[in-house]
Amino acid sequence: MSAAEERDLSESPQEFEQGLRIIDPHFAEERFPWRQVIGFAASLALTIAALLLVRGGVLAPQLLTAALFALAALQVGIQLGVFMHLRESRGPAWHVPLLALGIAIAVGMVGMSIWIMTFKWGVS
Amino acid sequence: MSLPARSEERLPIEFAEEEQSLRVTGFWLFLITDLLIFASLFSSYAVYVPMSAGGPTPMGLFHLGPVLIETLALLTSSFTVGVAIWAMRRGQISLLRYALVVTLLLGAVFVGLELHEFVLDVAQGAGWQRSAFLSSFFLLVATHGAHVSFGILWAIALLFQLARHGLTAVTSRKLYTFALYWHFLDIVWVCIFTFVYLIGKVS
Repeated sequence: MSAAEERDLSESPQEFEQGLRIIDPHFAEERFPWRQVIGFAASLALTIAALLLVRGGVLAPQLLTAALFALAALQVGIQLGVFMHLRESRGPAWHVPLLALGIAIAVGMVGMSIWIMTFKWGVS
Repeated sequence: MSLPARSEERLPIEFAEEEQSLRVTGFWLFLITDLLIFASLFSSYAVYVPMSAGGPTPMGLFHLGPVLIETLALLTSSFTVGVAIWAMRRGQISLLRYALVVTLLLGAVFVGLELHEFVLDVAQGAGWQRSAFLSSFFLLVATHGAHVSFGILWAIALLFQLARHGLTAVTSRKLYTFALYWHFLDIVWVCIFTFVYLIGKVS
């Protein structure tokens, strides 16, 4: 390949500005890590809530299972959104659609396994 | 019309060099593949959990007390590594170092408690050879524990690099990817805590 054919693959100034808009420009001005503290308090509250639901034994098993799944999903959301800075990236956030695909495959794989096993009772 | 000047200082330090920000994206891709490994382990656990072969069942085997302490240790360590990255972006290197040390100590507490649980299980005849349920249980939970153990070694290595090179574009990107890894392990643990331990106590 000749030198003339080589393209500059680094980002243009416009792309750089676009990338800046995704990252919170005030990241350096916070005096106290409020987001982290709130995220931590929320994850503790969700964990304790899930444990109390199981210990309490008030909900019917199916409802309880659904409630536990919902609480876990909320916690995963907090970790991704608050702690992992999911939306932040320099330029397009390519990891977000790929992560969505990965989660879809993961949930599909586990969900289908549970589903198929519901037909197997008494066989194995 | 002239384009706006590049202002790299408006970016957090781990994104300040384009190459390092690409490496962060690459690390996200690794985490997604790791997610699929854990998904397959969760699937096999879901399939094998009823097959206890007359041995211990989740209902009888699991004790939520010690598991809750493990969970609290890991949740707190996820918070402290969040504080570490917050401090890193502000250039507060001593707070960063302190938060990282607390993180790896909490990680060590977690691994210690988990090993203690494993030893007690094996001592009462609930080892991985006992039943399909226990094989898949140990495979899933110990894979996570091995990840945490590796994370502790990684954090120690990063502390040495930080002492030697200071806060550069490279060391900050390494710290940022370590934080992503650690939060990801917290996500996996939340799923283990829910799907393995809590669901195991639902009749």
